[in-house]
Amino acid sequence: MKDPLFKDTDLVLSVSGVDKSFDGFKAINDLSFYLGEGELRTVIGPNGAGKSTFMDLITARSRPDCGEIVFHKSDGHDIDLTKVRDHHISRLGIARKFQNPTVYSSHSVYDNLLLSLEQSRGVIQSLFYKESQFDRDKIHEVLKTIRLEDKKNILAGSLSHGQKQWLEIGMLLAQSPKIMLVDEPAAGMSDEETDRTGELLLSLEGKHSIIVIEHDMEFVRQIARRITVLHQGSVLKEGAFDSVKNDPEVIEVYLGRQGRKH
Amino acid sequence: MLRFFKGFTLLFFLTSILYAEESKVRGLLELIMTSSGNEQKESLVELSNYSDPQIKTIVEAWRKGDVYSFTNNGESIVVQQTNSGFERIKDGEILIIEDQSSLKKNRPSRRIRKSLKKIVDTADLIALDPKVRKEAVLKLGLSQNLSYLEDLRRIFKNELDPSVQKVFRESIAICLLAHGSDQEKLSAIEELGILKSVTAINFIEKIVKNASESLSDISLEPLLKDKAEVAILKIKNHQSILDFFGNLFRGFSLGSVLLIVSFGLAITFGLMGIINMAHGEFIAIGGYSCYVVQNLFASWFGTHSVGFELYFLAAIPVSFVVACLFGFLLEKSFIRFLYKRPLESLLATWGVSMIMQQSFRLVFGAANVQVNTPDWLIKSADFYGVAMSYSRIFVVGFALMVILMTWLLLSKTHLGLHIRAVMQNRKMASSLGIPVSKVNAMTFAFGCGLASLAGCALSLIGNVGPSMGQAYLVDSFMVVVIGSVGNLLGAGISSFGIGIFDQYLQPVLGPVMGKITVFFIIILFLQWKPGGLFPTKSRSLED
Amino acid sequence: MLTLFDNKKEIIGFIITFVILIFLIPFLNAYPSEESLFHVSNFKISLWGKYICYAVLAMSLNLLWGYTGLLCLCQSLFFAIGGYMMGMYLMLMIGDRGAYKSILPDFMVFLGYQDLPMHWKPFYSFWFASGAVLWVPGLVALVFGFLAFRSRIKGVYFSILTQALTYAACLLFFRNDFTFGGNNGFTDFKEILGADINHALTQRTLYIVSCLFMVLVYLLISWILNTKFGKVQQAIRDSESRVRFSGYSTTHYKLILFVVSAMIAGVAGALYVPQVGIINPDEMAPAKSLDVVVWVAVGGRGTKYGPIIGAIVVNMLKSYTTQAFPESWLIILGFIFVFVVLLMPDGIVGLPNTIKKWRQNGFQSLRFKNLIKRFI
Repeated sequence: MKDPLFKDTDLVLSVSGVDKSFDGFKAINDLSFYLGEGELRTVIGPNGAGKSTFMDLITARSRPDCGEIVFHKSDGHDIDLTKVRDHHISRLGIARKFQNPTVYSSHSVYDNLLLSLEQSRGVIQSLFYKESQFDRDKIHEVLKTIRLEDKKNILAGSLSHGQKQWLEIGMLLAQSPKIMLVDEPAAGMSDEETDRTGELLLSLEGKHSIIVIEHDMEFVRQIARRITVLHQGSVLKEGAFDSVKNDPEVIEVYLGRQGRKH
Repeated sequence: MLRFFKGFTLLFFLTSILYAEESKVRGLLELIMTSSGNEQKESLVELSNYSDPQIKTIVEAWRKGDVYSFTNNGESIVVQQTNSGFERIKDGEILIIEDQSSLKKNRPSRRIRKSLKKIVDTADLIALDPKVRKEAVLKLGLSQNLSYLEDLRRIFKNELDPSVQKVFRESIAICLLAHGSDQEKLSAIEELGILKSVTAINFIEKIVKNASESLSDISLEPLLKDKAEVAILKIKNHQSILDFFGNLFRGFSLGSVLLIVSFGLAITFGLMGIINMAHGEFIAIGGYSCYVVQNLFASWFGTHSVGFELYFLAAIPVSFVVACLFGFLLEKSFIRFLYKRPLESLLATWGVSMIMQQSFRLVFGAANVQVNTPDWLIKSADFYGVAMSYSRIFVVGFALMVILMTWLLLSKTHLGLHIRAVMQNRKMASSLGIPVSKVNAMTFAFGCGLASLAGCALSLIGNVGPSMGQAYLVDSFMVVVIGSVGNLLGAGISSFGIGIFDQYLQPVLGPVMGKITVFFIIILFLQWKPGGLFPTKSRSLED
Repeated sequence: MLTLFDNKKEIIGFIITFVILIFLIPFLNAYPSEESLFHVSNFKISLWGKYICYAVLAMSLNLLWGYTGLLCLCQSLFFAIGGYMMGMYLMLMIGDRGAYKSILPDFMVFLGYQDLPMHWKPFYSFWFASGAVLWVPGLVALVFGFLAFRSRIKGVYFSILTQALTYAACLLFFRNDFTFGGNNGFTDFKEILGADINHALTQRTLYIVSCLFMVLVYLLISWILNTKFGKVQQAIRDSESRVRFSGYSTTHYKLILFVVSAMIAGVAGALYVPQVGIINPDEMAPAKSLDVVVWVAVGGRGTKYGPIIGAIVVNMLKSYTTQAFPESWLIILGFIFVFVVLLMPDGIVGLPNTIKKWRQNGFQSLRFKNLIKRFI
């Protein structure tokens, strides 16, 4: 099945009719979602809308009660993500950044990226792994992208919060993923850092398919291409930033609520 | 008040009856000792209507040669030599006899001795206490002595209590197995099957084995075998039902101890993120508190007083307070630096556990100390054939009380509200003005107090020693893991589950293999439910 | 080879220790006369042999706890299993020189065995026993680790379950019908590979073998730490989920480490038994595993030589205090433990840094924010 909106581009991910409940609470309710090749998609929604659960489902951190989550590989094969073990997800080319930056604090920035490279993940290979020139080039390229070149030998634990966020994005990039799932990249960043994060994400558009979850509306406006609004576990609205912003339903559940609060 | 008065008069009435009976018995005994011929015979018959403990002691003394007679002013007097002097048989009065040479040993004749033995043996058959009656009946039945059969049958007719009647029937049938006619044997087997007599099973098996000798009419042998098979099957079924409930009960009592221990753990471990390896030593504090209180009571009231019997009730609050105090000090001194660092708290409290254990050894000695179960908890109740010791019943009730107490504390008190708030969000609670450090200390102290209560309960059913808590610690950690950390309901269910499982496996596999099997079942259970019974959903990455 | 070491200091320290342990001490045992000031007594040799085995045990725990964040409380179990495997061989080598003059081990005669149980028979071979020293602990670790890691048991839960495993095994070995000598275990060994086990030369050889094994383990761990495997291992300690989402099967990594560490502990146990002359279930009591944790914590976890220092220091202290204050040894150890956890999170190796920090920040720094991060 194809979303009628994607007549021209190829799909990389299609989620259809997915349910997930915790102890009777329906976190995801008949959710359908399609992501096109090279697309930058922003997912917004009020707290408890199921955004993080949605990412958990794609990365096999939890399994859906019913429904399909299919990853369309570039060679034409379709893979049912609900049957893949979680560490294989990233081997397929799906990478995820978590809400709190998770980096290996006792390793250097360089080693953090080295560990995220896409090959030699087996136990035996890792014992006899030798760094190749290709790997070094790749790491330096990523370091340049995330602007941490001068910090490559510093322990990741001593980076600032924003730098950790970038490092984590860099770790995703080092995996050369097809799909990047980015959960609240701007959380805890200064305005300037937020701007630069936005630029970074925009520069990745086209090379990777990206899903960004974000709360910060300024930031969303900056990176917005196509926006999906989640509400009570299903898609409420999809469209460009302005059309979503002016949608009365969205205002009611999201902006409206926020508006009342302030 | 009136009721009290009524009870009092009843008591008085009863004692006076007993007193009257005793003097009557003494009179009869004296008569038997001094008279002969018909008079003696009649006295003997009359004596068989009484069931007084004095009969046994005096007859025993007479048989052993401790009874003397002498004449004083023409009156013949019989006395019994006891530790306190010479006791007149007639009224038990102690007489001072200056001229001991006038004493003549008085001994019963063979014939008298025989009839007296019967009287003594059957005396308890008409005792007032049905329990004593039951025991006496069963004893005679198991002896399979033909001479008692008549007495059993005779007294059975006058027995009114249905539960004692049942024992009578059982005993008569067992007697008949040995001495009855072939027909009687068959019906006895049937009867025992109907009565589900567990005690008779060996006798039935024996008679089947020796069927060819014991039966006069050999052609009845197959019939007897059939009937025996049916009866044995019935009894065994009954036996397995009894075992089932017996194990269930013991499982419940073990589960109760685990529950008290693991409630304490669940609170400190689950709610506070502290792994208290010294929890076992707080159990030992409970045990030793009982020991100390027992000794104090013994020195205050003496060991055979009512006051002493109540020491256990006093030991419970004492041990709770002592353990709370220790727990409080421990928390204040360094546990408070270890919140939400489970691995470190595990190591530090392990150090504390070593210190405490060795201190117990230094103070109380390395060997187990003796904590006597109070008399009122020693006996056991018989519940449709399942023996339930009072101490275990007490432990179960105690656990229920602890559950109630914990629940009340957590849900109804101010402290409980604070505890729940701090557990959910330490920072938020603190910024809302809840005195977090005080609440922490109180919670930890409460957890330790619970452990010591478990120690009290354990002193009733196990040993009290420096390492008494260690054995239960591993089990209770399992309970907490299975029941999902910090979930009191889970801890409750899993402690009863593990306790009951353990008790069912032990008779089959032995205590060690039973424990190991339980352990592997737990591991397999965690394969199925890694988060325990009631896993908490966490949104953070590292949970 | 040089890349195995972090810096020059480490190389120098390594060489000095190597020379002292493997050449100097045995030399001083063998050649100076007993009255000589420099003489190292036979007793000292087997005492140090024991320390070295403990040090290896501590290193095996450090591999799991220090570098991977798995606080394993069944290390003493693996140690004891290794010891039992070697003990079986040594028991059979007693032959008919036991108290009952039977070719069966004494405890079997005592318990009324007629024949040697099947699983004992291969242990007449030294090489089979040596193999068993490796694969039996390895297998136990493999099965248990597979179940534990598969269901994502980690952190404190892992510690608790491993402790329960040790406890269960300890109960099992205490049983007479488990054919491992019940609570008396194995003792009264006579010979190993044909040599008199109590002879000074044999003991010296065993000591040297233990030291060589320690060096081997040290080099192995150094090598592992320098590979990508070692980096993954430490990354698991920092953030296991991140590692898994980077496409590594952390289950496999942890399982391999667990098995390797169990094997190292097993060999340490096998070397320990002939030097100490006894193995019984006390050696695998849950408390022993926690002792090992104390050594590592005192020495400095997550450092290459911390566990060695910790094991030797704590055990020397133990030898001293059990003689000087036999009653209060456990109390002293307990206090050391509490002290180390609270005030010396990086152990002896990290002491200079800790003191520096303490001077800079005053008492408040004792809560050690960095350490909190490491544990959460």
